[in-house]
Amino acid sequence: MFESSQNVLLKPTESWRETLLDSRVMELFFTVHRKIREDSDMAQDSLQCLAQLASLHGPIFPDEGSQVDYLAHFIEGLLNTINGIEIEDSEAVGISSIISNLITVFPRNVLTAIPNELFSSFVNCLTHLTCSFGRSAALEEVLDKDDMVYMEAYDKLLESWLTLVQDDKHFHKGFFTQHAVQVFNSYIQCHLAAPDGTRNLTANGVASREEEEISELQEDDRDQFSDQLASVGMLGRIAAEHCIPLLTSLLEERVTRLHGQLQRHQQQLLASPGSSTIDNKMLDDLYEDIHWLILVTGYLLADDTQGETPLIPPEIMEYSIKHSSEVDINTTLQILGSPGEKASSIPGYNRTDSVIRLLSAILRVSEVESRAIRADLTHLLSPQMGKDIVWFLKRWAKTYLLVDEKLYDQISLPFSTAFGADTEGSQWIIGYLLQKVISNLSVWSSEQDLANDTVQLLVTLVERRERANLVIQCENWWNLAKQFASRSPPLNFLSSPVQRTLMKALVLGGFAHMDTETKQQYWTEVLQPLQQRFLRVINQENFQQMCQQEEVKQEITATLEALCGIAEATQIDNVAILFNFLMDFLTNCIGLMEVYKNTPETVNLIIEVFVEVAHKQICYLGESKAMNLYEACLTLLQVYSKNNLGRQRIDVTAEEEQYQDLLLIMELLTNLLSKEFIDFSDTDEVFRGHEPGQAANRSVSAADVVLYGVNLILPLMSQDLLKFPTLCNQYYKLITFICEIFPEKIPQLPEDLFKSLMYSLELGMTSMSSEVCQLCLEALTPLAEQCAKAQETDSPLFLATRHFLKLVFDMLVLQKHNTEMTTAAGEAFYTLVCLHQAEYSELVETLLSSQQDPVIYQRLADAFNKLTASSTPPTLDRKQKMAFLKSLEEFMANVGGLLCVK
Amino acid sequence: MHPGKSGRAFQERLGSWVLFGNQDRGVWQGDHFGNNFAFSPLACCKCMLLESKPLKMADDLDFETGDAGASATFPMQCSALRKNGFVVLKGRPCKIVEMSTSKTGKHGHAKVHLVGIDIFTGKKYEDICPSTHNMDVPNIKRNDFQLIGIQDGYLSLLQDSGEVREDLRLPEGDLGKEIEQKYDCGEEILITVLSAMTEEAAVAIKAMAK
Repeated sequence: MFESSQNVLLKPTESWRETLLDSRVMELFFTVHRKIREDSDMAQDSLQCLAQLASLHGPIFPDEGSQVDYLAHFIEGLLNTINGIEIEDSEAVGISSIISNLITVFPRNVLTAIPNELFSSFVNCLTHLTCSFGRSAALEEVLDKDDMVYMEAYDKLLESWLTLVQDDKHFHKGFFTQHAVQVFNSYIQCHLAAPDGTRNLTANGVASREEEEISELQEDDRDQFSDQLASVGMLGRIAAEHCIPLLTSLLEERVTRLHGQLQRHQQQLLASPGSSTIDNKMLDDLYEDIHWLILVTGYLLADDTQGETPLIPPEIMEYSIKHSSEVDINTTLQILGSPGEKASSIPGYNRTDSVIRLLSAILRVSEVESRAIRADLTHLLSPQMGKDIVWFLKRWAKTYLLVDEKLYDQISLPFSTAFGADTEGSQWIIGYLLQKVISNLSVWSSEQDLANDTVQLLVTLVERRERANLVIQCENWWNLAKQFASRSPPLNFLSSPVQRTLMKALVLGGFAHMDTETKQQYWTEVLQPLQQRFLRVINQENFQQMCQQEEVKQEITATLEALCGIAEATQIDNVAILFNFLMDFLTNCIGLMEVYKNTPETVNLIIEVFVEVAHKQICYLGESKAMNLYEACLTLLQVYSKNNLGRQRIDVTAEEEQYQDLLLIMELLTNLLSKEFIDFSDTDEVFRGHEPGQAANRSVSAADVVLYGVNLILPLMSQDLLKFPTLCNQYYKLITFICEIFPEKIPQLPEDLFKSLMYSLELGMTSMSSEVCQLCLEALTPLAEQCAKAQETDSPLFLATRHFLKLVFDMLVLQKHNTEMTTAAGEAFYTLVCLHQAEYSELVETLLSSQQDPVIYQRLADAFNKLTASSTPPTLDRKQKMAFLKSLEEFMANVGGLLCVK
Repeated sequence: MHPGKSGRAFQERLGSWVLFGNQDRGVWQGDHFGNNFAFSPLACCKCMLLESKPLKMADDLDFETGDAGASATFPMQCSALRKNGFVVLKGRPCKIVEMSTSKTGKHGHAKVHLVGIDIFTGKKYEDICPSTHNMDVPNIKRNDFQLIGIQDGYLSLLQDSGEVREDLRLPEGDLGKEIEQKYDCGEEILITVLSAMTEEAAVAIKAMAK
């Protein structure tokens, strides 16, 4: 109750003006709080009242002036209350809600119109509170408290900062800089180990350290604290002059220490091999420091945007431009290009671009890591730090590498010289990043998350044509491609998702700009081996006999995995080539289904290939290509069905495996159907020149495949299987799609299939989750409309809809149901009523005649009359339907609860 | 343009920060980002490999040989195991039904937690090991044979070679009854035999296509 009401903003009507704008009322609330603040329960309530008052807006304010007065008064009251007291734990969240409400609700021009001195006191107070809550939040973490009140309060305040500083119209430049410096410093301090910071220090200064077990379900810090980091990164940009050099020196200093520490460990190992009693506390502290510094740097230097090209933050660009006259470009490049050396050992290192130097500090961390690996110290390294490094490099590369100068009004000379198009710098960095990727994939194959972040970096390098063009000039890239194609160690130790993404990257790289000969050579080395090896295996005479041999099975599995990766690389401009390439395989895969019919894990993977191809490509395919795919899918399903019909299994994993097959088949069907919603192929443009127009003789339609698939799935479905929530949702999603898209096909279904479909709908409406129930209700409307169109009063569908009328009637009138469902239920209900008017009247009559109480009888009778008054006689007309839905809402409000409480 | 030939700024300085300066470890020594930047990653990777795996290189695969002498298991790095795949747990061939990772402390190395069910007995086994470790993976085979007789609780199965094997027990439970019943009715059925690590069992039946 308290939780949910916390965020409701106060927007009373004008009639409250005299009461709420009376300053004595507000003062009363502050006074009350001062009196009771030591009682934690009461304090929370009174702060809740104040937070409400802090969100006051709307018609209650006659003009801007009154709003300014109110705000000034409120802030004064607030400062008087907080200043000079020690805040109680129970007050933290309440106070931060008040501040957050003030900043979000009051417009900037009102905020800046209050007296200057008052406003700066307010911002000072906000700064002070943010830093202090941050420190308390860190303490809470050390003590591992269940209830993290300061963390919550800190989150709210950091969010308020983000709202406040993102406005550069009302505050002059640099207005918040000093405050930003303070908040930024305190954040860094809380996250660094002593002596620079206070991490893991309890209130009395004792360090605590616990090695706890962390499961994969625990979110990475960069996600768990993404909101905090985004705010701190933003504040860091505002105070770039201070923050960028600070991060650089903290990082550089730690790199040197890390290097020294590792070197000592190595000497120890060499002096007495086998004595592995090394205390890792020092290293762990360094790793944790570097971890946080990299995260903050990543959020400070770049944004993470989904899909669109992220831009270099304007503050960073300005900062670099501002200093570019003092910068020596050559030394800057040298700092960047020599990650194996201490920055301070390079003459003139202080006259370098600070942003580039910060990047190069992280490259230095990366370099120490790489060298430790080469010196056989991998076991001492932190995979978390490795992950942070590639995460940062990916984020950085997306934004800065090969900057597109057209996107900016002004570009910093150091940036364009170091990372611009056609520069040695960008070529060098790409080589360096590629090197890192290759090293990581070989050394860290056992660390799935790290390997995954690493291939994501690789994808970033090739997903944009400009970068890919440089990548493919590196010899390493070709080596990587060849090595992966040969399926030899170490790349084949990678987990299957990582291998798929690697395949995706290699395919994307193939669409870079190359001369025809090079391109030919590339595909010969990347894709052709796949095809050749596959064909060599499956075309052997005795393939049937040896298909169960382990080497053969591994070969097949690796090929199928690679196909999934290739499908993932689909983009609008390569779909033509990739589709044709994959289609050849799909045909062969159907043969494999036959050969491996008794090997469920292979069958499962084959279906997955189809799911992926359909998922990634169907929306781009023109009519005739789509038909090819439909046909292939249909054959696949036929073979699957033939092989599973009459098969009985008792092995222990039978149920699980069948469940997975069904889930994949439903996914496949849903993907095929999705073309009805999302279709980018209004012409066969992407395939132009690849095929003659022959769409006229359409042999297979999506409907055929899908209905065939449903035919196949339905007999295999059981109520037990529907207990798997994922399967259940996927199943109902699929049948609702079908009813919506092809209602005309439903009456033509074979009797058994039709019956089980109707039974499924009934089951979904009566005994599944409300989400499923909603899906089923949505399926009813098109079915009833179909009946109305067909005008057959004796068809099975007509009879079925009559039954559904009663179900929906009971549901609306007699049962408790989720109000969110009223709309879906109402639409279905109305269409069904139109179709079965007589039966509807009968239902109403029966219900009324069973009422003993004349009052209730009358109320119900009136309500039913009103319900249909606007739509008599009911017809399938949109206007009437809307009127009915409106009346239904009133009906529900009026008598909804009357009959269901029994 | 080749990175090795790029501007002097990138290659001028050598060695002021030679890490882990032990002269006899030649692999990394002195490879700065100058001319030898483009050293082969593979040469480097190989030295970092978890020492020689007895896996055959793909090109050496010999598909012609039969499986005489094929071992019952082969090693695989934990991280490359797949859910739905197989693994030997406590000496038993298992299907992996759950695979998750954890680490000790934020900077620890990954450990893999495996849950598998014995493909013959259905018993559940668990194991936890560092993700760099090799696990044994059982060679799993499934073969379909035509049922041509049942004698004293043993199945007579027709092999592809034309020979008949009679060493496989009629399974217990429902599947066994089903097989007997179908056989008595004269239905022609195929029996899927699952084998792994010297153990075998009939696990499925299917009516033969007419």
